[in-house]
Amino acid sequence: MKLIFQPRYWNHINGWLLVLPAVFMISLFTHFPIGSNVFHSLFSMGTATRPEAFIGLENYKYLMDDDIFWKVLSNNLVYSLCTVPISIAIALCMALLINRNIRGRSLVRMAFFTPTVLPMIAVANIWLFFYTPEYGLFDQIFTVFGGDSHNWLGNPDSALYCLIVMVIWKESGFFMVFYLAALQQLSPELKEAGLVEGSGSWYYFRRVTFPLLMPTTLFVMVNAVVNSFKLVDHLVIMTKGGPDNASSLLLYYIYENAFSFWDTSYAATLTVILVLILAIITVIQFVVVEKRIHYQ
Amino acid sequence: MSKIILNDVCKSWGKIEALNNINFECENGELLVLLGPSGCGKSTTLRLIAGLETLTSGTVEIGDRDVSNLPPVKRNISMVFQNYALFPHLNVGENILFGLKARKVPKNEQKKRLENAATLLGLADFIDRKPAQLSGGQRQRIALGRAIVAQVSVCLMDEPLSNLDAKLRQEMRQEIRSLQQRLKMTMIYVTHDQVEAMTIADKIILMKEGCIEQHGTPEDLYDRPATAFTGSFIGNPPMNILTPDDLILDGLPSFPTPLAGSTIRYLLGIRPENIEISGESGIEGLVVAIEYLGADTLIVCRSGEQLITLTVKGKTGVSVGDHLRLNWKPEHIHLFNGEDGRRIEGLAGGLIS
Amino acid sequence: MKLLEIGIGKTAETLGAWMLGLLWLLPVVFAFWSAFHPAEYSTNFELFAPLTTDNFVRAWSYAPFPRYLLNTFILVTLILAAQFVLCTLAAYGFARFEFFGKNVIFALVLLQLMIMPEILLVENYRTISKMGLLDTIPAIGLPYMASAFGIFLLRQSFKTIPKELVEAAQVEGVSAVGILWKVYVPLSRSTYIAYGLVSVSYHWNNFLWPLVITSSVNSRPLTVGLAIFGAPESGVDWSIITAATVMTMAPLLLAFILFQRQFVQSFMHSGIK
Repeated sequence: MKLIFQPRYWNHINGWLLVLPAVFMISLFTHFPIGSNVFHSLFSMGTATRPEAFIGLENYKYLMDDDIFWKVLSNNLVYSLCTVPISIAIALCMALLINRNIRGRSLVRMAFFTPTVLPMIAVANIWLFFYTPEYGLFDQIFTVFGGDSHNWLGNPDSALYCLIVMVIWKESGFFMVFYLAALQQLSPELKEAGLVEGSGSWYYFRRVTFPLLMPTTLFVMVNAVVNSFKLVDHLVIMTKGGPDNASSLLLYYIYENAFSFWDTSYAATLTVILVLILAIITVIQFVVVEKRIHYQ
Repeated sequence: MSKIILNDVCKSWGKIEALNNINFECENGELLVLLGPSGCGKSTTLRLIAGLETLTSGTVEIGDRDVSNLPPVKRNISMVFQNYALFPHLNVGENILFGLKARKVPKNEQKKRLENAATLLGLADFIDRKPAQLSGGQRQRIALGRAIVAQVSVCLMDEPLSNLDAKLRQEMRQEIRSLQQRLKMTMIYVTHDQVEAMTIADKIILMKEGCIEQHGTPEDLYDRPATAFTGSFIGNPPMNILTPDDLILDGLPSFPTPLAGSTIRYLLGIRPENIEISGESGIEGLVVAIEYLGADTLIVCRSGEQLITLTVKGKTGVSVGDHLRLNWKPEHIHLFNGEDGRRIEGLAGGLIS
Repeated sequence: MKLLEIGIGKTAETLGAWMLGLLWLLPVVFAFWSAFHPAEYSTNFELFAPLTTDNFVRAWSYAPFPRYLLNTFILVTLILAAQFVLCTLAAYGFARFEFFGKNVIFALVLLQLMIMPEILLVENYRTISKMGLLDTIPAIGLPYMASAFGIFLLRQSFKTIPKELVEAAQVEGVSAVGILWKVYVPLSRSTYIAYGLVSVSYHWNNFLWPLVITSSVNSRPLTVGLAIFGAPESGVDWSIITAATVMTMAPLLLAFILFQRQFVQSFMHSGIK
C-alpha cells in the first residue's frame, strides 16, 4: 500500500484504508452484537423440537414481571451507589495524602495501587477466606472481641455489602491515580498564593482544589459507574449471586441466563437493558461535560 | 513602618547553596529591584521574604518585627506571581477577593475594597468574567488587584511582567510604578531584565550565584559598577570588558603607564557609547560587523584577539572591513581587578594626569 | 508554636497515610503468609511459624498451572501485538487524514469505551461459535484487538506531534507510511508503553469472557484455571488455594513492584484526556 498525500480523494481513500481494519473489528464485536441482541430479544428460544419464533415484545413483558430481574437491578443500584462515592472519596483522600511530601510516599503509593494490578479472581479468593464463617479472618477477629460467628456471605442481608467492601478496596487505588495526575497538573503557584492570602487547608480545598478537580471527579465517576455494571468476576467465586440472588448483579444474571440456563434470547433481552443503561450514562456524561465551564 | 531587613540570610538545599550571606535593607515606601541572571537566587530571596521557603540561617524582619518563623499569612504581605496564580474557576471579583474571604473580612468592606481596586485598575467592566476570557494585561491587573485589596504595605513581585509582550510590558511597568508610589507601598520586585530594573527601581540589588554583587541606585550601578559583572550586566549593549594587552596599551597614549608595569592583572571596562572614532590617535580596530538600529548604529571591531563594541548616533558611513582608530576619554575608563573582578577605586582617575 | 502545630499536623498526616497503606496491603500480605505456611497457621499468626513451599508443590500437581501460565502469556502477547498494529493505523488515520465521515466513525469507535465486549458476551459468543473458534486462544483475544481506548490514546498522542516535524519529513521526500514509522511511532513511545502496561494488566486479569469462551486446558488462561481450581466443590484446602492465587498474581505483581513508577505513571498518562 502506498499512501499519497496530494490529491484530495487520495486523502479520503488513505484515511479509510487506515481506519478500516480497526473499525471492522470494532463493529464486529460491538455494533453488530448490539443490533443482533435487539434482534434475538424479539425471538423465543429455539429448542430441539421447536424452532425459534418471532414473539415480539414477549421477552420484555416477561422481564417486567421477572422478580429476579428487579432484584438484580436494585442490587446493582445499591452496589453502584455504595462503591462509586465511597471509592471516589477514598481515592481523593489517598491522592491528597500522597501529594504531600510525606516520608515513604512511594511505598504508600505502591500499597494503595497494588490491588489494582491483581486479578479480581485472585482478590475474590483471598477475601472469600476472610468472610469464611468461623475460620475466616473476620470471624476470628470478631470472636476475639466476644462477637458471634457470622455467615457473612451466606446471609442475604450482608452478602452484597461484603462484596461492596471488597470492591472499594480493589478500586480506590485505581481512581487515586487519576486524582494524582490531576493534582500534579495544578500549578504550585496557586497553593502559594493561597498561603500568602491566608486561606486555611480546608478553605483552600473547598474553594480551590475540589472545584479544580471537578473534571477528574466526573471522569472517575463515569468510569466507576461503568465498572460497577461491568465487574462481576468476583460473583463467580464468592457467592454465585446468592444467597437467593441477594448479591447478584445484572451482568452476572445475563451470564447465568446464557450459560447456565441456556436461555440466550432472554439473556439478549437483558443485555439490551444493560446497553440502554450504559447509553444513558454516556448521554449524561456528554451533557454534563458539555455544560462544564471551560477554563484554560 | 514596613521596612524590610535581611540579616545574614543563607539558604541551601542539601549541599547546594542557593544563597550565601544576604544582607540588605529596603526602606519604607521604596521600590527595590532584585536583578540578576536566572539561577542567581533572586526568586529564592523573594520567596524567603514571603515565607514560602524556610531559612537555613539568618533572619528576616518586616516592619521591625522578626518574621523568620512565621507562615506567609502572618507576615502582612501581598504577592504577585510570575504566572499570576489566578484561580481559573473563579471570576475576576472572586479572584481579587479570595484572600479577604479566607480571612473573613466583613462583606461590605470587601465590596468597598473591590470597587476601589477595580476602578483603579480599569477592571470594573470585567468583574464577572473568568480569567481565561481576559487578555494577558488584564490578568496581570487581576493579580495586582489581589495585592491592592489586601491593604498591606509590603508587596512582593516575582517577575510579574515576564509573560507579556514588549509593548504591554512597558505600559504595565509604568502602571506598577505609579501604583506603588500612590499607595506608598514598600515593594520588592524580582526581574532578570535590566531595562525594567533601571526604569522602575529606587534601588537595585544585582545578584550573582547567590551573592549580592552590588546594591545601589540605578545611577550607581551604571556609573560606578562595583564589579566587572555589574558593568557587563547593566547597560545595553553591555560594557566592553577588555584585557589590556600590548596592542591596546600602545594605541592609547593617555593610558596610565604605571599600571602597565604593575604586577596585578586587571581588566578595563569601557561602555560602547563612550568610545569615539578618531582620525589619528587611539587603538586600531578592524570592523567585523555593523548593526543598524535606527537611532544609532552598533559597530563591532576586532583589535588583536579582542572584540570591541561601540555605538554611534544615527547611520554611519563605516562598512565591514574598514580600519578604524578608537579612542575614549580617561574619565570613562572603569578598572577592575583581574582576579576577583572588583572595581579598583580611584585608580584610573588618580593615575591619569 | 505555629511551627510545632504544623509539625504535629504533618506527623498525623504521615501516620494516617501509613496506616491506610498498611490496611490496603494487609490482604495481599495475608495471602502470601497463608501460601508459605502449613494449613494450621493460616489464621494463626506466629512470627516463627515454619515456612513451607509444600502448598505450591501440591497446587502445581493438582492443576496444569504451567499450561495456564503459557496460555495467558500467549494471549496477552497476541492481543498486545494486534492492538499495536490496528490501533496505530487507525489512530494515524483519525489524527492526520481528512476523510468522508471521519467524525461519525470516530464517535462510533468511542462507543466501545462504554460498551466493552464482555457486556455483549451472549452475542459475541454466538459470533465466535459461528467462526468455529470456540475454545481457542485467539477467540479470547479477538473482541479486544481493535481497542477504542488504544485508538483514542494514540490519536491524542499523534495530534500533539508538531506538524513541522511531519512537514520537514515530507520535504525530505519521506512517504506517508515512512512518516508514520519514523516520526509518529518513535515520538509516541511513552504512550505505547503506557497503553501496553494497561492492556497487559487488563488481559492478564480478565476473566468473564475467557470463562465463557474456553472449555479446556488448551486455551484456559490463569484466571479461569484458578477459578475452577478454587471452586468450593473442588475440595482443595485453603492453603493450597492461596498458593495458587499467589502464583496467578505473582508475575504481574513482581513486574509492578519492579517498575512501580512506570506502572503508576502509565495509568496516570492513560487517564488524562
